[in-house]
Amino acid sequence: MDGAERPLSKWKQPLLKLRDRLRPSGDVNLKRLQRKRALFALLTRRLWLIKFTLFLAGYLWMIYIPSPLWGRGTYIDENALQPAQVNTNWNWGDVHAADRHLEQLECIRDGNWTSEQRARWLKEEFGKHGVVSSTQRYSFSTSLTTIHGTNAYAVLASPRHSGTEAMIISASWLSRSGEGDGTINIRGVSTVLALAGFLKRYSYWAKDIVFVVSDGYLDGMQAWLGAYHGSSQSGLYAEPLQFTSGVIWTALNIDYPGHSFSHLGVFFEGLNGRLPNQDLINSFERIARYTAGVSVTVYDHLDPRAEPSANKAPWFLPQFIYNIPEVKGYLYQANNIVRHAKYQASGRGSGVHGLFHQFRIDAITLFAVPAMGPHGFHAIGRTIESTLRTMNNLLERLHASFFFYILPGPQRFLKIGLYLPSVILISVAMMFHGLSIWSNAGWVEETLPTEKESKVQSTTKWRRRRRPIISALCIMIATHTLGLIVFNIVTTPWFMKNPQALSPCMLVLGIATPLLFVRRVGTDVGSAPTFMVLKAFNLCLSSTVISIITLLNFSLAASLTLFLTPVVALSSPALSAQVRLIKYSAYASIAFAWLLFHQSLVDVVWSWQVLSVWLAPFICIVYTPLVLQAAIVCSLPC
Amino acid sequence: MQFLPLTRLTSIPNINFTAAFIALVAARVWLSLTDLSNVLKHEQELSSPLTSFSQLQEGIYLFQHDIDPYSGGSFRHSPLLLSLFTTVLPSSRTLASLLWTLNDAVGAWAMVEIWRARQHIRSSPRDTLIAALYLLNPYIFLPSVALSTSSLENTLMLLSILFACRKKASAALFTLSFLLQLSLSSILMVLPIALLLVTDPHSHLASPKALAVPLKALVSPSGEFVVYTVFLTLVSTLVAGGWAWIPQTWGATITLPDLTPNTGLWWYFFTEMFDHFRPFFLMVFTTHLLIYIVPVCIKYQYDPLYASFILIGILGTFKAYTTLSDPGLFLSMIAIFPEIYPHMRHPIVTTLLHLHAALLMPLFNHLWLTQGTGNANFFYATTLVFACANAAGLVDCMWAGLRIAIGEEVEGWAVVQE
Repeated sequence: MDGAERPLSKWKQPLLKLRDRLRPSGDVNLKRLQRKRALFALLTRRLWLIKFTLFLAGYLWMIYIPSPLWGRGTYIDENALQPAQVNTNWNWGDVHAADRHLEQLECIRDGNWTSEQRARWLKEEFGKHGVVSSTQRYSFSTSLTTIHGTNAYAVLASPRHSGTEAMIISASWLSRSGEGDGTINIRGVSTVLALAGFLKRYSYWAKDIVFVVSDGYLDGMQAWLGAYHGSSQSGLYAEPLQFTSGVIWTALNIDYPGHSFSHLGVFFEGLNGRLPNQDLINSFERIARYTAGVSVTVYDHLDPRAEPSANKAPWFLPQFIYNIPEVKGYLYQANNIVRHAKYQASGRGSGVHGLFHQFRIDAITLFAVPAMGPHGFHAIGRTIESTLRTMNNLLERLHASFFFYILPGPQRFLKIGLYLPSVILISVAMMFHGLSIWSNAGWVEETLPTEKESKVQSTTKWRRRRRPIISALCIMIATHTLGLIVFNIVTTPWFMKNPQALSPCMLVLGIATPLLFVRRVGTDVGSAPTFMVLKAFNLCLSSTVISIITLLNFSLAASLTLFLTPVVALSSPALSAQVRLIKYSAYASIAFAWLLFHQSLVDVVWSWQVLSVWLAPFICIVYTPLVLQAAIVCSLPC
Repeated sequence: MQFLPLTRLTSIPNINFTAAFIALVAARVWLSLTDLSNVLKHEQELSSPLTSFSQLQEGIYLFQHDIDPYSGGSFRHSPLLLSLFTTVLPSSRTLASLLWTLNDAVGAWAMVEIWRARQHIRSSPRDTLIAALYLLNPYIFLPSVALSTSSLENTLMLLSILFACRKKASAALFTLSFLLQLSLSSILMVLPIALLLVTDPHSHLASPKALAVPLKALVSPSGEFVVYTVFLTLVSTLVAGGWAWIPQTWGATITLPDLTPNTGLWWYFFTEMFDHFRPFFLMVFTTHLLIYIVPVCIKYQYDPLYASFILIGILGTFKAYTTLSDPGLFLSMIAIFPEIYPHMRHPIVTTLLHLHAALLMPLFNHLWLTQGTGNANFFYATTLVFACANAAGLVDCMWAGLRIAIGEEVEGWAVVQE
């Protein structure tokens, strides 16, 4: 009796409270309902804070990605590779052979041989080394031009295996320096020829080695690979290959345009944002460093921390701040990542190796960064020989989890968990924003005047209202259809032949057309304004698109968070009709701004028609309509 | 009491149904004759090993060359399909495309008729919308363009329900037993369709009451169903020239010999399973499907059409070897029940889940099998998202179907589930 009246001991009180929480007295349903309501109220009150935090966290994370403190050192995941464990046989005699080939190639270059003659000569040279060789003619017709060319290739049959697997050594006739502006990859081609003679002498190859000297920059290899894999493509005529081999697992593309080189740069981004397995890059990096003694860089960027020549502060930074090692490291890595993002987001990849990825071949380009020395044929030959030995060790296709990464430096990488969340956080914030607008559209606050004790008071009451889903969906479908029509017009030959004249007309038409069907949108009395529902849907769809693109092409998704998210999140109608029209025009101009960049437009359409890079359809059918929807949100009455 | 959402009906513009229907079918015919069919024919989301047209063609080829197609292990279609496609039906791709479109048109028509029977009206402005939601639902038309036989199963399902709504017992039960020959999992539908035959298809969701007819009334439809099933089984055996077809077709649904990825939940689970656990979990997965029949039919005993709808949703989510058209049928059928819309709790979440799943499934399938940068877990994860989307829709429909009976919400009161 008196136990209950006695003040509870200190340790009993929280226990009883806990018991009360777990097994509440009274109506359980009521408790549950109250708890749920309290939680909802808390979330709703703090929703703007949650959204803001998510946006901020996402963008800050993105800024933090290039930090030298983020990520970890690269390592070899596939034990079978065993890079840099062999003695190399490439010696000064082979360098001499490469020099002989170089002399002949210089004559060919100066004699302005046609690609047909060149390919025939290359075929004969391969033949002289005792490797079966052939040529392949091809032609591409696009909206703009027709390209003709001839590839030369040779197949070295594996002495130890049945020829079901192969690896490729390739060089394109045009170098990647200047993105195929006409610099000839003359030493790259000589290296391939000399390697054909050299590799033939050894008996330890378990895979066929295919040597390809492709014509042009990208087009030759695209035609050759298409013919090798039996895939057809509209606008492409390619002769069938006379000699083929087995499944190609890995490929090395050699690009050596200058006289000699200081570093070997690695280029790895493929078509449509596909990356090669990181083990290939890591093996090559270790082999170059330990076997040939050549430093590897990412692209042709030199690390300012190691190379005094690159140690220059950018214009916007005073030297003393730049000299802080972390700042220097951050800027170097940021430079690499921005370049990576450009290659990946454009979908066109960073060179000839990118074409291999579409057939599931892991490939990279070794780029001999032009310099006054100290390296030449000797170093590149040894590196390639040892890398081939490593690739020769593979028992199965490179498969470990190393397909999603960012390479801020040659010996550092960010795995997927360290960069993906930045974009996902932003996309989640957009989704929350859209959902909150959606739920706001469903309710309206009504003020009811009530008379109480001769004082006029007003109480507010929430009333449900209908949401015009159908008209919002119709607007969205209409904008995407408009995008499809624009895409079909832009890819026609007559548009491609004179984009200067036609794209301003297209711009005006694109901006004006939506106004025609937007005029018909009316608002029913008592239902939510259309702009709210449209904006909610627009945000949800944009968020979905961004989060889904992340795994396919992270750089594209990140670019969307920079160029699409602010536009979509900030769109809102104005009270006066003039302001609405001005806002609409500004937003719609953002949607169609790409029409004004003629040269890039032609390039992007070219890479769609020749290389099936889906950036052009993506921009026309996804990006532009999403921004147009935001523009229409601005133009609708509130 | 019948619930007629008149306010909704009036807001839909009155379009001539016949003209609109013909236009919709014409659009589908155009779509089926484009190159899309060739692009989609090997998509794993659209046709499973049990419904793939390529495998059907292979079976037909073997059958015509006097080789038992069931001895090989890759042909898993019913002997009835084999006999139809070797005699009356075309097996060339172009003609088959037209046939599949026609089949979908019949399905859409059946769905409109089910709606009319439920509302007890001859025509309504909503008819066009219902037909469009069936014919233009991507989950329905993509498998159909890919010539998956699951489209045929959907039409048979709708026809069987339609005949049951019209009290044509023999037609309904024969169609259902034919459907059972094609897909063993449709055994789930026997009880709700028998209930539908002895009651009426009108909406009683708002006024629940106990089943008025005695359970004895179910005996004769069930008996008739058994007779038809035995008959068709014998016909199948006659066509196949032995009993070997049973383990190859029906048996595959239960023993899951082919682990080709699909949109369902079974394949990955049994890929990862140790062999000595296999029989037990096969039993669990199969029984799991069956346990829903009786509770759903008891709960919605006053509205067996709604019970059928819920069970179709369960089939689309949980059965073995699903394709997109199984959940697609459930989603399109939501159009028949507009009375539940105001009571749905989270339609936007379900829609967004479906949007994510529908975009991620082909993408991750591509990353895994074409591009080679992903692996099986990627695709499996998206099928989980898809299952969540289907389950969210299903649970929401179940809730809304029960919630109507409580009536409009009153200020200061809340409805909770005990």
